[in-house]
Amino acid sequence: MSAGYVLGALLPALTGILGWGRVKSPGALDGLVKNLGFTIALASSLAGCVLSLSILLSGDPLHVEIQQSLPFGTMALHADRLSAFFLGVISLIAAAVSVYSLGYAKEFLGRRNMALLVFLYNLFLLSMAGVVLSGHAFLFLFFWEGMSLTTYFLINYEHEDPAARRAAYLYVVMTHLGTALLVVMFVILFSHTGSFSFGAFRDPGSRLPTAVQSIVFLCATIGFGVKAGIIPFHIWLPEAHPAAPSNISALMSGVMIKMGIYGMVRVYFDFLGPDIPEWWGILILIVAVTSSVLGVLYALMEHDLKRLLAFHSIENIGIILMGVGGALLFASLGNRPLASLALLAGLYHVLNHATFKGLLFLGAGSVLHATHTRNIEELGGLVKRLPWTAFFFLVGAVAISALPPLNGFVSEWLTFQALLLGFHLSDLSVKIAVPLTVALLALTGALAAACFVKAFGITFLGLPRSDRAASAQESSFSMIAAMGSLALLCVVFGIAPGLVVSVLDPLVGSLPATSASGQVVLKGGMMLIPQSNSSSVSPLVLCGLIIAVTLVPIAAGYLLGGRMRRRAVMTWACGLQKIEPRMQYTATGFSKPIRMIFSNIFRATHEIEISDETSPYFRPDITYELKTESLFLKYLYEPAYRIIIGSARIFRRIQTGHIQTYLAYIFLTLVLLLLFAR
Amino acid sequence: MSDVPAIVLLSLLQLLLVLASAPLISGIIGKTKARFQNRQGAGILQPYFDLAKLLRKEVVVSPVASWVFRSTPYLVFASTLVIALLVPTVVVPVPLDWVGDIITVIYLFALGRFFVALVGLDTGSAFGGLGASREMSIASIIEPAMMLAIFTAAVTAGSTNLSVIVATLSSTPASMLNPAHLLAFSGLFIVTMAETGRIPVDNPDTHLELTMIHEAMILEYSGRYLAFIEWSSQMKLAIFLALLSNMFFPVGMATTLAPWALFVGCAAFFAKVIVLAAIVAVVESTNAKLRLFRVPELLMVAFILSLLALILYFIVGA
Amino acid sequence: MDPTHLQTVGLLIDIFAAAILVTAFLVVSSRSLVFYIRLFALQSFFLGVVALLVVLGYGETHILIAAVLTIAIKAIAIPVVLSRVIERIHVRKEVDFSINIPASLLLCGGMVILADSVAHSILDAQRADAPAVSRVLSVSIAMMLIGLFIMMTRKKAITQIVGLLTMENGVFLSGLSITYGMPLIVEVGIFFDILVAVLILGVFIFRINKTFESISIDSLRSLRE
Repeated sequence: MSAGYVLGALLPALTGILGWGRVKSPGALDGLVKNLGFTIALASSLAGCVLSLSILLSGDPLHVEIQQSLPFGTMALHADRLSAFFLGVISLIAAAVSVYSLGYAKEFLGRRNMALLVFLYNLFLLSMAGVVLSGHAFLFLFFWEGMSLTTYFLINYEHEDPAARRAAYLYVVMTHLGTALLVVMFVILFSHTGSFSFGAFRDPGSRLPTAVQSIVFLCATIGFGVKAGIIPFHIWLPEAHPAAPSNISALMSGVMIKMGIYGMVRVYFDFLGPDIPEWWGILILIVAVTSSVLGVLYALMEHDLKRLLAFHSIENIGIILMGVGGALLFASLGNRPLASLALLAGLYHVLNHATFKGLLFLGAGSVLHATHTRNIEELGGLVKRLPWTAFFFLVGAVAISALPPLNGFVSEWLTFQALLLGFHLSDLSVKIAVPLTVALLALTGALAAACFVKAFGITFLGLPRSDRAASAQESSFSMIAAMGSLALLCVVFGIAPGLVVSVLDPLVGSLPATSASGQVVLKGGMMLIPQSNSSSVSPLVLCGLIIAVTLVPIAAGYLLGGRMRRRAVMTWACGLQKIEPRMQYTATGFSKPIRMIFSNIFRATHEIEISDETSPYFRPDITYELKTESLFLKYLYEPAYRIIIGSARIFRRIQTGHIQTYLAYIFLTLVLLLLFAR
Repeated sequence: MSDVPAIVLLSLLQLLLVLASAPLISGIIGKTKARFQNRQGAGILQPYFDLAKLLRKEVVVSPVASWVFRSTPYLVFASTLVIALLVPTVVVPVPLDWVGDIITVIYLFALGRFFVALVGLDTGSAFGGLGASREMSIASIIEPAMMLAIFTAAVTAGSTNLSVIVATLSSTPASMLNPAHLLAFSGLFIVTMAETGRIPVDNPDTHLELTMIHEAMILEYSGRYLAFIEWSSQMKLAIFLALLSNMFFPVGMATTLAPWALFVGCAAFFAKVIVLAAIVAVVESTNAKLRLFRVPELLMVAFILSLLALILYFIVGA
Repeated sequence: MDPTHLQTVGLLIDIFAAAILVTAFLVVSSRSLVFYIRLFALQSFFLGVVALLVVLGYGETHILIAAVLTIAIKAIAIPVVLSRVIERIHVRKEVDFSINIPASLLLCGGMVILADSVAHSILDAQRADAPAVSRVLSVSIAMMLIGLFIMMTRKKAITQIVGLLTMENGVFLSGLSITYGMPLIVEVGIFFDILVAVLILGVFIFRINKTFESISIDSLRSLRE
C-alpha cells in the first residue's frame, strides 16, 4: 500500500515533467494538468489517511527495506505509530488542500506555469510523507532537503514580487542552518552506534553518554526548531508563509512546521534517554513560553492577514512545545504517566493546529482570491459577500482561540491538566515553572482570542473599507467544500475527543521515554483524568446543553414579549447624516491598547507626516506610519551577521591573489602533514 | 447522585435559581450604591421590570449588521446558563460536574466575550470597535490572574473538578481560614470586579465614550436582544459571586436531596451572595474608575496575591 | 498551653503575617503618598496584633510592652506626624518610577521566593511548629527586602521614610518569630530612636521643600554641585 502511495505521488510529478514545456500557452491542456495533478494528490492523500489509520489502529509498524548499493547500510522505510500519526495529519490536510487547489489554482491558469505548480506540489507532499516514513538517517535527510527545496521554489512561484524572492532566500538560508545541525546530529549518532538506521539509534544497548546526549538534544532542538519556527529562529516564517500561494501556505503552516515537531519528538522520546537531565525540559518550556507569548503579541500588530496567521503558527508551536517540554520535565523526574499525559496534550494540539490553521489559511486564500489584497485595513463587510468563507473562517477563529466546544479547547484543556498535575512533584524548579507556564498559557489564549476578534471583525464585519471589498465574489465550490471539510473536522475533534485520544494513548505508550498510557479515560463523550481526582470535561454534552438551553431565551422571548418585531435603522453615526466606512475602527486602532500595555516589548515608533502643499482651502494630507521593532532581527541576527561578515573579511586577507602565496600554502600544509601524520 | 431524574431536577433547580436571582442581585447592588450616594435609588426589583419592558419592545437592527449580531444574544445567554449549571450553588456534588470543570467555565465565559466583541465590530460604528478593543485587551490581562487564582484553589484539592474543590474544603473547615486561601480569594475578588465590568475597571452605568467598555460593545442592541445580553451580564455576576463564595467558603451547602437540606442550601447561597454583593457595591462606591492603562497594575496586584499564596504555602513551605 | 489554643493562635499569627506582607505589596503597587501612610499604619497595627498573639500564645510578657509601644508609636504617632508633613508640603503623588509598577510587583514576588528559601535554610529541622514560624520569618525577610526596594526605586522623600520604616517592621517581626522578642531595653531604645528620627526627618522634609520647591531626591543631587 505504501508503494502505491509513493507511486501515486510520483505519477503527477511525471505528469508535471511531461507538461513542463507548456508555459505560455493556456488552454485545455493546462486545465487538464491542474485537474489531473490535484486529483491524483487528493487520491494519494486519502490513501495516506487509510494507511496511517491502519497502522495506528493495529499497532504493527510498516517496514519496507530498500536495496541499493550506497555505502550507508540498508535503508528502510519504517512507520511506527508516531510516524503514522504525523502521516495522518499530513494526509488529512493535504486532502483538503488538494480539493481547495482545484478551485484556487484557476487564477494561475494562463498566467503562470501550472505544470510547475502541480509538479512541485506533489513533490512537496511526497517529501513530507517521506520524512515521516523514513527509518534511516540518510533517507530522512534526503526527504528533508527535498521538502526544503520544493518549498523554496513554491515560495518563489510568484517570483516577480521582490518580497517573495527575499522571503524565499531568507527561508532557504535559515532552513539550511537547521539542516546543517541535523547532519551534525546524525553524524554524532552514527559515530556512537555504528549505523545510520533509526532502529540502531533506538537500541537500548547503544545508550550514549550524557554529555553526548545533551549535544544531540541541542542540535535537534535548534535544527528542528528552525523548521518549526521557534523563537529566536522564526524570522523566516512571517516572510515565507505569506509569499507562497495560499494553498501552499496552508500546507506549510499547517503541516510542514509540524515536521519539526515530529523530529523533536522522535529524537527526544525515541532516541534519547532513559536518564533525561532536568534542564532539557526547562529549556523547552522557556522556548515554548517565549514563542507563544511573543508570537501572539507580534500577530496582534499585523494587518496583513497571512502574516498574522503566520505569527499565530509560531504561537501554537509554542503551545505544542509546552506539552513536549512538560513531558520532558516530568520524564526527567521519573514520572512517566504525567509525561505521557503532557505529550498526549502536545500531540493533540499538533492535529488541532494543523486542522484549524489549514482552514484559516484556506479562508485567507479565499479572501485574497476574491479581493486581491491581504491588507485587512482595506476589507470589511465580507460576511455578506463571502458568506461561506466567513462562516468557515469564524469556525477556525473560534477553534484557534481555544473556545469550547471546538478542538482548540480540548488540547489546551489537556495541557492545563498536565501542568496542574505537575505542580505536585516536589522539585523546586518545577514548582516555579508550572504556575508561570499556566499563567502564560492563559495569557496567550486570551491574546489569541483578541487577535482573532480583530482579524475576523475587521475583515468580515462592518462596512467595506474599499471598492475591492465591496465587489468581492464568493469562491468556487471546491474551495468552499475544502474549507467546510476542515471546519467539520474542527467540530468533530472538539466534540468527540475520544476519537483522537484513543489513537494517541497507545502512541505515547509505545515511546520508550513516556511508556505509560491510560492517563485519559474515555466514557462516552467524556474525558476523565483519574490522576487528578476526576477532573473531567464532556464536550459533547456541553455542546448539546448549549444547543438545548438556547430554547430558554427563545421561549422567554415569545412568552414575555410576543412575536419579535424588527425594524431596520442605519447605525448611529453620531449625528452625522450617513455612516462612512472610515468611521469604523481600524485594525491598528483595535490593537493599540495591547500595544501600549506591552510597549516595552514592541518599542513602537510612529511617524506622522502632514503635507501642506495642498491648497489652504482643503484638508491637508496626513500620513501615519507605525513601526514595531523586530527585537530578534536587531539584537540577535544583525550583530551575528556583522560578526560573521567581519571575521570573514579578516580571513579574506589570506587570499592575496598572488599565485605564489597559494603555492606557499599548499607547501606549508604538505610539510605539516608529513611532520604530524607519520 | 448518579440517578438521572435527580440530576435533571437539581440542574433545573440550579438553572432557575441563577436565572431568577441574577436581576435581584443587580438590584441590591444598585440600591446599595444609591444609598451611598445619598439618594433613594430604584427599588431592588427594578431590574425585573426593566427586563420585562425590554422583552416587549421592538428590536432595531442596522442593515450593516450580519447574522452574528442576531445570534449572539442567544449564544451568550445559552452559554451563561450552561455555566450556571456547572458551578456549585446549592448542592454539592454539583449534578453536572462531570460535564465541565473550572477551566471549562473560564473558557465558556471567553466564548461569550468573543462573540460580544465581534458584535461590537459588526455594526460598523466606532463605539463598538472601541468597546471591543478595550474589552479584549483587558480580558487578556485578566486571564493570567484568574487562572493563577483558580490554580491555587485547585492545587489544594488536587483537581479542577468543582465538586471536588468544594468537598475538599468543606471536609476541613479550618482550612477555609488558611491564609493561602484568603490571598487567593482576594485575588479572585479583584478579578471578579474586572471580569464583570465593575468600578474600578469599567463603569456599568455609563455611556460616555471616554469611560465605557462593555456598554460600548452592546450599544447597538435594543429590545429583547438587549434584554438577553443584560440578563446574561447579571447572571455572570451572580455566577462569579457563587464561585467566590463556594470555592472558598462552602458553608451550608446541601449534600443530600432532603428538602430541609435543600432549603438550608438555598438560604446559605442567598446569604453568601448578598453579602458579597454588598461588598461589591461598597468597593464600587468608594473607588474611582481607573484610567484604562492603570488597569494592568490592578490586575498585576491580583496576580501577585495568588502568586504569594502559591509561594508561601505551596512552593517552598509546607 | 493546650494544643488547640496554640493552633488557633498559630493560625491567627499566620493570617496576620500574610496581611502584613500584603500591605507591603500594596505600598509597592500604589502611587498615593496618603495611601502609603495609611498602609504603614495598618501594617504596624497588624504587627502589634501579632506581638499580642505571641504574648497570648507563648506567654512572654515583656513583649506586651513592645506590642503596646508598636501600636502607639508606629500605628498612631508616626502616621500622624507624616500626615502633617504631607499636608504642609502639598505633595500627594509619586509620579516618577525607575521601574514601573507591574515589573516592581513581579520583582517583589521574586524576593519573597528568595526570602522563603533563606528562611528555610536558617530554620532547618529545628522547631516543632516550624511551618508557621518559618513563614513569619520569610515574611520578615521579605519585608526587609521590599522596604529596601521601595527606597531604591522611589523618588519622593516621604516614600523613602516609609521604606525605611517597613524595613524596621521587618526586623521587629523577625525578632518576634525567632527569639520571641529582644530584650526590652533594646526594644524601647529602638522605638524612641525611630520616633525621634521621623520627627527630625519630617522637619527636614518641610524645610527642604520650602527651600527647593520639591522633595524629589533627584533634585537633591544638585546639592553636590
